Amino acid sequence: MTSHVLKNSVPAKRAAGSLRRKPGAVARAADTMVGRGLIQMIAVAAFFAAWEVAVRAGWLTEFLVGAPSGIWRVFLGSMRDGSLPVDTWYTLIEAILGFVIGTALGSLAGLGLWYSVFVARLVEPFIVAINSVPKIALAPIIILWFGTGFVSKVALAVSLTALVALIAAYQAARDADSDLQALLASMGATKNRIFRSVIVPSTLPAIIGMFRINIGFALVGAVVGEFISSQRGLGHLIYTASSLYDLNTVWVGLFVLMFVGFVLYHLIDFAERRILPWRQVNTAGQVQV
Amino acid sequence: MTAPKVQLSLRGIRKSFPGKAGPVPVLDGLNFDIYERDFVSIIGPSGCGKTTVFNVIAGLLEPDGGSMMFRGEVVPGLRGRVGYMMQKDLLFPWRTVLQNVMLGLEMKGVQQGEALDTAREYLSTFGLSGFENAYPRTLSGGMRQRTALIRTLIMDPDILLLDEPFSALDYQTRLYLEGVLLDAVETFNKTVILVTHDIDEAVALSKRVVVLGNRPTKVKAVHEIGLDARSPVGARSDPRFAEYFHTLCGELDIQTRTRAA
Repeated sequence: MTSHVLKNSVPAKRAAGSLRRKPGAVARAADTMVGRGLIQMIAVAAFFAAWEVAVRAGWLTEFLVGAPSGIWRVFLGSMRDGSLPVDTWYTLIEAILGFVIGTALGSLAGLGLWYSVFVARLVEPFIVAINSVPKIALAPIIILWFGTGFVSKVALAVSLTALVALIAAYQAARDADSDLQALLASMGATKNRIFRSVIVPSTLPAIIGMFRINIGFALVGAVVGEFISSQRGLGHLIYTASSLYDLNTVWVGLFVLMFVGFVLYHLIDFAERRILPWRQVNTAGQVQV
Repeated sequence: MTAPKVQLSLRGIRKSFPGKAGPVPVLDGLNFDIYERDFVSIIGPSGCGKTTVFNVIAGLLEPDGGSMMFRGEVVPGLRGRVGYMMQKDLLFPWRTVLQNVMLGLEMKGVQQGEALDTAREYLSTFGLSGFENAYPRTLSGGMRQRTALIRTLIMDPDILLLDEPFSALDYQTRLYLEGVLLDAVETFNKTVILVTHDIDEAVALSKRVVVLGNRPTKVKAVHEIGLDARSPVGARSDPRFAEYFHTLCGELDIQTRTRAA
């Protein structure tokens, strides 16, 4: 495209011949997997270096913000004594169980509502009402009901993810192409058949998109549950450390949480590519603006 | 020539839809017959309920009144007996070409292996071999519509219901697919009901044209098309083509000759 324009306009020809480089040439050259990764790593390293320098120079107080060197020391120590892996494991399992149960229940209920417009209209105001309650506010009751252990964290994660899943799945089922449904009906398909052959596959992209949001919510549920009362988990680690002004430990918990969320997000990306091969975007054909 | 056998007859079909100010009558007692191996086009002013007629025949909409007879039997609709094709190709984006074509066979409960063989055979007949595993979005509009046509034919329906199937395609592709359709109908002995707004297409393809009037709709006229050429281009080059074209335009109150300015 660009070369075509250049060839045909005299001022552009002159500009190309001048010393001025074409804008964006550097960005284009760097825009490869390796190039981007390098830039991202440099940015992260610079950030931590600046942080460390600022603490050592006395511009920031380690007591209030922590320091990368201290964070690293805490990280190594808690890895060695095995407490960090255990805490991570607890939170991870709580979040994953909460995610799976909440998302499965919600998605099934949301898709199920496709079967009956009557039932869907009937329950809609209730869903909206329940959804408008900040679920975190339920945490104290959930702890009362399910105890201070593992189950209450899972339950909190379920409460955070189920309605998101329900609403997303129901919306997607309602938006499924009615012409495809009519086509199958004209072939004599039953409602169950239409559900299996149109509703389920056509809602999958939206449902998998919702997985990404729900993974985050499930982690919120697990961590907040641990904040309120727990003996284990990254939320417990962060909460107890911050009450002791041990900022380096707080950061260790936060960074591990970030890492866990990041990995889970990419697992979903990976699953999406496997489940939805028909939806792969061909980036080679992308228009350069 | 022996009198053609009636395959499907519509008698007094009425249908209205709820509107802001009470029900809006769309079909007001529709009567017409479709013969065995017929090729009937239904034309009419826009909004006259052509697609409604279709959905009633396909059994997707229940008429408010009237009856339908299929080979002498009163039927509520032709669900499962029709092949339905629309302007949108309605291919399932998550299915490959092969899986799309097999859809109808799966619906009929044909065994996987047998369905696979039949589907491969049809794809090669229609020149789509090599595209079995392609997803619809990687195909051109013409290829997608050809896949949709194969999917319709492979189910071996009694009647093909085509709702402006080619209107989204460019003229060359359309001429080509019209030819493919005519050949296929000839080979597989199918009855076709084609809804179109395109008088040119109706004349070139049909044996008969049913003209619908304005809403509430009745059948205004039925015209026999006596063109011998059985190819879309041949039909359009027939000297009588223009005559039919003008007659039908007249039926639809379209001015075909500009008045002296």
